[in-house]
Amino acid sequence: MFCRIFIYTHRRMAITADDVSLEDIVPISLDFAVVEVSSPEELVVVGADTRVRISFKDQELELRLPFGSHSRVFLGEVNKAWSDVCRSPTQAPTFEWISKYHKGTRGQGVVKQAIAPLGTTLTKLSQHRKTEKSSDKKGTLEKEKGSNSGTQKSRGFSSQESREERDDLVRSSSHTPSNKAQILAMPQFGLRDNLIRCELLKNEDLYTYLEHFSFFLGTYNVNGQTPKESLRPWLGCTLNPPDIYCVGFQELDLSKEAFFFNDTPKEQEWTKAVFEALHPEAKYAFVKLVRLVGIMLIFYVKKEHAEFISDVETETVGTGIMGRMGNKGAVAIRFRFHNSDICVVNSHLAAHIEEYERRNQDYKDICSRLQFRQNDPTQPPLTIMKHNVILWIGDLNYRITDLDVDKVKELISKKDFETLHSYDQLKKQIDEEAVFEGFEEGEIDFQPTYKYDTGSDKWDTSEKCRVPAWCDRILWRGKNIDQKHYQSHMALKTSDHKPVSSLLVIGIKRVNGDAYKKTFEEIVRNIDKMENECIPSVTLSKREFHFEDVKFMQHQAETLSLFNDGQVPCQFEFIQKPNEPTYCKPWLTANPSKGFIAQGGSADIELEVFVNRSTAPELNSGTQQIEDILVLHLERGKDYFISVTGNYLPSCYGTSLHSLCQLREPIQDMPQETLRELAEMSGTENAANTEKPLDIPKELWMMVDHLFRNAIKQEDIFQQPGLRSEFAEIRDCLDTGMPDSLPGSNHSVAEALLLFLDALPEPVVPYSFYQQCLECCSNASQCEKIVSMLPQCHKNVFNYLAAFLRELLKNSASNRLDVSILVTIFASLLLRSSTKQDLAEKRKTQEFFQHFLTQGSS
Amino acid sequence: MAKQYDVLFRLLLLGDSGVGKTCLLCRFTDNEFHPSHISTIGVDFKMKTLVIDGIKVRIQIWDTAGQERYQTITKQYYRRAQGIFLVYDITSERSFQHIMKWASDVDEYAPDKVQKILVGNKSDEVDKRQVATEQGIKLAKAYGMDFFETSAFTNHNITETFTRLAEQVLAANKKDLDLLRMSINDELNLAALEEEEGLCDGAAGDQRKGCWC
Repeated sequence: MFCRIFIYTHRRMAITADDVSLEDIVPISLDFAVVEVSSPEELVVVGADTRVRISFKDQELELRLPFGSHSRVFLGEVNKAWSDVCRSPTQAPTFEWISKYHKGTRGQGVVKQAIAPLGTTLTKLSQHRKTEKSSDKKGTLEKEKGSNSGTQKSRGFSSQESREERDDLVRSSSHTPSNKAQILAMPQFGLRDNLIRCELLKNEDLYTYLEHFSFFLGTYNVNGQTPKESLRPWLGCTLNPPDIYCVGFQELDLSKEAFFFNDTPKEQEWTKAVFEALHPEAKYAFVKLVRLVGIMLIFYVKKEHAEFISDVETETVGTGIMGRMGNKGAVAIRFRFHNSDICVVNSHLAAHIEEYERRNQDYKDICSRLQFRQNDPTQPPLTIMKHNVILWIGDLNYRITDLDVDKVKELISKKDFETLHSYDQLKKQIDEEAVFEGFEEGEIDFQPTYKYDTGSDKWDTSEKCRVPAWCDRILWRGKNIDQKHYQSHMALKTSDHKPVSSLLVIGIKRVNGDAYKKTFEEIVRNIDKMENECIPSVTLSKREFHFEDVKFMQHQAETLSLFNDGQVPCQFEFIQKPNEPTYCKPWLTANPSKGFIAQGGSADIELEVFVNRSTAPELNSGTQQIEDILVLHLERGKDYFISVTGNYLPSCYGTSLHSLCQLREPIQDMPQETLRELAEMSGTENAANTEKPLDIPKELWMMVDHLFRNAIKQEDIFQQPGLRSEFAEIRDCLDTGMPDSLPGSNHSVAEALLLFLDALPEPVVPYSFYQQCLECCSNASQCEKIVSMLPQCHKNVFNYLAAFLRELLKNSASNRLDVSILVTIFASLLLRSSTKQDLAEKRKTQEFFQHFLTQGSS
Repeated sequence: MAKQYDVLFRLLLLGDSGVGKTCLLCRFTDNEFHPSHISTIGVDFKMKTLVIDGIKVRIQIWDTAGQERYQTITKQYYRRAQGIFLVYDITSERSFQHIMKWASDVDEYAPDKVQKILVGNKSDEVDKRQVATEQGIKLAKAYGMDFFETSAFTNHNITETFTRLAEQVLAANKKDLDLLRMSINDELNLAALEEEEGLCDGAAGDQRKGCWC
């Protein structure tokens, strides 16, 4: 991305886009430089223009930028663009396309003088500033900057203000620890801290107390003169040194240069005069100066108060020609003093006796257009009216009307200011609420300050012979303000106005550390409480679930209802406990296991228990119980424990052949202890049990015998599914011995048999023989040899089943079975792999088993 | 003025069922007391902000189920705590004796530098006292912990106890905090830090979904 500075010139004051023409484009490239031109002999004054030199290749431009945030922003952008270029030095654009914009007249190495435009004009043009996609092939981004200049050859331009804050003594003290509100204002704290800040502001009265400070306000229209006499009679008129000085001037410089270029030597002259006239009994620190053409405001503070001043900002608004120019308008300084926000405005409103409505309009324009930037960019700009204390001074230019000049002068000579005041336009306008709403002014006990013959106390003797007027005024808005004096200073004769001063004693909010701490803690406590109330929360319909008589392959479910009783929507999820692979035991599921509940809403979760062949063995043997604790977790919230208990009825399903051969009674008549012992011994041949084991499990015999007797000719036997309900009855019959004979259809019994084989923890051909079986599957005698090596009960079961199946095949005409059907069904049940079986393996198991169905022997 | 930092850490309330862990928490965070005993079945938490040495400390206090059947699960929460309250009931000799078991579980499951504090709750019930203050002091001394007798009912020593443990955790993590202060400007989350360390340890948290909070 490349950036350029576009330089525009114009012949007359730029009002529309047609008035400006593109003069030059300076690309911001590696050989671009911008430096501040320092002039050590000059006194640096805050608020003055900044001189910078911009160089690019063989060109050099010297520029003067008006003081103000617009320039600052512009220069910030330039700086940023330049440092971006520096960061990616590989690209070295040649900017050839620029040449077509160059005018042929420019010589090499010419130092061009560029003079800054008037602040107001710049303000306006700055609003045109935009970033847009350029149309050139590179698709680069251009920064377009409008700027203007005066007539001659000079080119209007803006440039860099040095980054360092200049001797701005006060700014450095803006982060003193005493300034609690400042600390809180740090933006990185986010929402929570915004809340705290907001609450602190609301409760300010609880932790602040008033301390009174004296503010000296002075206003002086100097009619373009240079200081010729000491200002001490005006600025040093108080008995005690004031805490703060805010001194405003109007018509500082009436020259064209000042008007067009906002540049005047008078700024320094008057600043110096002010500094020399401050009260001699105290030391003052210069805080800020702001000037718009001839309107200037200077702000001094007693040294010991400097550290309590922060957030100093200045702004200007022109309301002169075109409603924008700086011959009329206002300058303002805002600052924070302890915990109070103060705004001082110095304005010079429209002239001429009949123009009072124009003056009202100027006031309104100033109030709406003058906006201070805030430190925190997320905050909206501050307007004048947002301040706790507003001090408004200046040549407001309101006149005395409806009285002829002689009558006015007569009232003045009688010192009947009260009567005279009733003819004052400002008083009338305020009474009509047309201007300065909410402002106060002290009683006027001095003669009008305008217009005198310069150098005298004589009323205007020119041919216009103007009616005397109180043009120069001091008003305030805010609480706890007490005026100590309000007067003019006749001794000063430099101008056709007399300066006016007022001493205001203002109650400033100071922070009481202990009370602040208490308030702060209270607020934090409330926010904590709020936060705690916003932690997601639900109520559970039940915390304990008991599943009675859980059986093999018999589904049971209970409903857990969640109700969101919290103040926020919540997301719930059952989470796994450490060292466990899932959130619950394998025989349990929660459906759904996660979800979302709106505030005040509810959700039903089904807790389902289902014991299948993989979970049955451990439950049968009693090494596992129906027992689990589920952890229901709310996102960003608490965890709930839900306990699940139950009793399991052991079954022959999922019990080993070995154990079953030891059981002469139905499994459910056996004590748990026996079952566990049997399970532990399983595999160890011929255990301590003295009784001779059964040849095959009686349950197996019952099913096979039943089929042999009832289903040998059953069509589609082992091919047609049974009924689930009948399976449950068959299972119960096998497990309890009741009733005596198996219930259900032949198909159901056939399926029960298949399920039995499937559920065996160790298949009929044990896992340890599986590999051997695969290896010799093509050799019938080898296969028989393997079977002969099986553990006794496994061997018995194998042979028994093979014999039964051969019997079935004898009746294939009726039951429509053939070898391949039975092999397909039974091979996979009898020969199981402990891992996943592939197709080739499957074929081998079938080949293995086929030998036993085709041979004649048993 | 140096920038301010938010520190967040977790404290855990442990002890037998019925010693008053939930009441301690409610008193501390909401300044409320509910005399009826409803067993905490699960793990609950509340937030509280304290200012210690000018540092804003946000503590997340976890209240655990004290019942024995849940202990295998609650132990898994210890790992995430920077501070632990071992709470017994001064009217229950049994709950006091169980402190030893709780303490050994903490040694086994909590991080090495976890800070502990011994709390004898229900100090208002003088008539039913079964555990003398001296016994508490002695046990705390043996474990090298601080000790407070508290009453959630009368609000006796509640803030002191919580603040003390928070201070200890802060002090124990001072070095890390100072280091962090130099490197990051954002909110410090001590709890998150601990977890990162846990991940570096390796296998510990590999298959966990990280939702144990």
